[in-house]
Amino acid sequence: MSIAELESREIQLEAPQGLWSDAWHRVRRNPGALIGFGLVTMFVLVALLAPWLAPYGPRQQNLSLIREGCCPGPSRDYLFGVDALGRDEFTRILFGARYSLLIGVVSVAVGLSAGLVLGAIAGYFSGLVDSVIMRLMDIMLAIPGLLLAIGIVAMLGPGIFQIMIAVGVVNIPVFARLLRGAVLAQRVNDFVLAARSIGVPRRTILMSHILPNAISPVIVQGTLALATAIIDVAGLGFLGLGPQDPATPEWGTMLTGTIRYLQTAPHLAIIPGVAIVVSVLGFNLIGDGLREALDPKLRGRA
Amino acid sequence: MLRFVVRRLILLLPILIGLSLLVFLWIRALPGGPAQALLGERATPQAIAQIEHEYGLDKPVYVQYLRYMQTLGRFDFGQSVTTRRDVTTELKQKFPATVELAFGAMLFSIVFGIPLGFFAAKRYGGAFDNISLVASLLGVSIPVFFLGIILKYVFAIRLGLLPTVGRIDVLIDLEHPTNFYLLDALIAGDIHAFFDVLKHLILPAVALGSIPLAIIARITRAAVLDVQNEDYVRTARAKGMSPGIVDRRHVLRNALLPIVTVIGLQVGFLLAGAVLTETVFAWPGIGTWLVDAIESRNYPVLQGGILFVALVFVLVNLIVDVSYAFLNPRIRLS
Repeated sequence: MSIAELESREIQLEAPQGLWSDAWHRVRRNPGALIGFGLVTMFVLVALLAPWLAPYGPRQQNLSLIREGCCPGPSRDYLFGVDALGRDEFTRILFGARYSLLIGVVSVAVGLSAGLVLGAIAGYFSGLVDSVIMRLMDIMLAIPGLLLAIGIVAMLGPGIFQIMIAVGVVNIPVFARLLRGAVLAQRVNDFVLAARSIGVPRRTILMSHILPNAISPVIVQGTLALATAIIDVAGLGFLGLGPQDPATPEWGTMLTGTIRYLQTAPHLAIIPGVAIVVSVLGFNLIGDGLREALDPKLRGRA
Repeated sequence: MLRFVVRRLILLLPILIGLSLLVFLWIRALPGGPAQALLGERATPQAIAQIEHEYGLDKPVYVQYLRYMQTLGRFDFGQSVTTRRDVTTELKQKFPATVELAFGAMLFSIVFGIPLGFFAAKRYGGAFDNISLVASLLGVSIPVFFLGIILKYVFAIRLGLLPTVGRIDVLIDLEHPTNFYLLDALIAGDIHAFFDVLKHLILPAVALGSIPLAIIARITRAAVLDVQNEDYVRTARAKGMSPGIVDRRHVLRNALLPIVTVIGLQVGFLLAGAVLTETVFAWPGIGTWLVDAIESRNYPVLQGGILFVALVFVLVNLIVDVSYAFLNPRIRLS
């Protein structure tokens, strides 16, 4: 074929607009991620607006509703039924969203910030500092997450604040490893070398050149960690290690007592469980969507 | 290959030492300190002082640590506060129960997970693929205890097909030389007991195995999709090899590496998830044992249990690494 036979043709070229707006465009085309955003938005709104949405108080009891030992199922006045102490299950689910969201976000924030600092230090300074930090992380990873959390709760005593710390600590090595890897990969980049050669101080290089470029896997992991944090928190609550006031409408804690009533009032177990699944699913969908959108290897695939 | 294994074993040492140090410090950070942890909350100051002297807790910390390592070396975790039995004795009874459960869960997740992922990849983009994607997404979003409750409700309470709690029917009389009840039933030659134990195992194992199943299916699908487009697969097809043999010898064999890794990673999940599953099904394993220990502040049990589980976890990871090397000729032959 000669050159003359080649026909020139105009093709659509999208100008790259930077990592984030590109990523947003890709996320928008991903139905799963959009559903995830929908679920999480709903979850956050419910958590914020619970006192206005809820028809009753979360601790308000009406024992006259209890018939033959346990609790009537869903009805028009009580959408999700009534629990064993005559409290409206719908109200308690709405308020429970606050606990799950708060505990999840705080515990991930604890793990993320500690993990980020440790990982960034290990990755940037390498040598002995790196070895010491990473061996410590290996030791923490040698204990299965939930058991580590149980050990920490045993030390601190049960309670909401304690499970936030416990789940947060479990998350530290995950983020530390992730960030160390990312920083190591960025450290050898030309722009870092250039910054070093013109005498930019180490800390500035780390904060304004390396971290911003290493952050996208952390965001993906953070979203997915929120999902596991909600599951872990519910698990600790289910084991009775969560809020010690049994009237607290935390979803995991709400599930604990319900096995007894499984035969007569299955809705008491199913409804909080479904609430957990829906919120976890939302974060998982967003996390997967973000990973696909931010991972350069997956870019351009349908 | 041998060098690789030896190197991994040497790398294990600092982790084990660190782990023991961590648990050692943890005991000292417990409310009331180790003496009170040993004696329980109602201990008198005299008794505490006596125990502290007896256990050398009035000695310097490094002497204490060395002593502690000596007792650990003898697998002596002390006595359970509630039952006054050796923690090691109880461990021998509880651990097989958890292993049986975890093993059942593992078997379930592998037997169903790998074919599921494989066929999803074969029918990439088809209905089966999409359904399995949605199912595995749901699988990783369900807390294991909630799944356990649902399974219990549907199959045990509603349909009455399977038992709701425990490992064996209380009316069945069976000796327990190994504490692996399935094995015990086989040793006793009691087929009736064997099937009863199996029936008790199904629901907890399915509940615990569902999340690993979802993860294994996802990884298998991704690995098969990756390998399927490799040159050597195309070459094998091009030279007229039958599709079944190509799948077995070239695709699955090479896809197995990431699958084995992810199966190994599930062991930690299985051990931790067992805690929750056992609570739902009143399974008398390590999980219920540890949860009871927290409630009764039974610190010797907690210490022994957590240390032991961590040890098992580390060893399993070693085995996974070694088998990974064995499966990967690039490491095996180097």
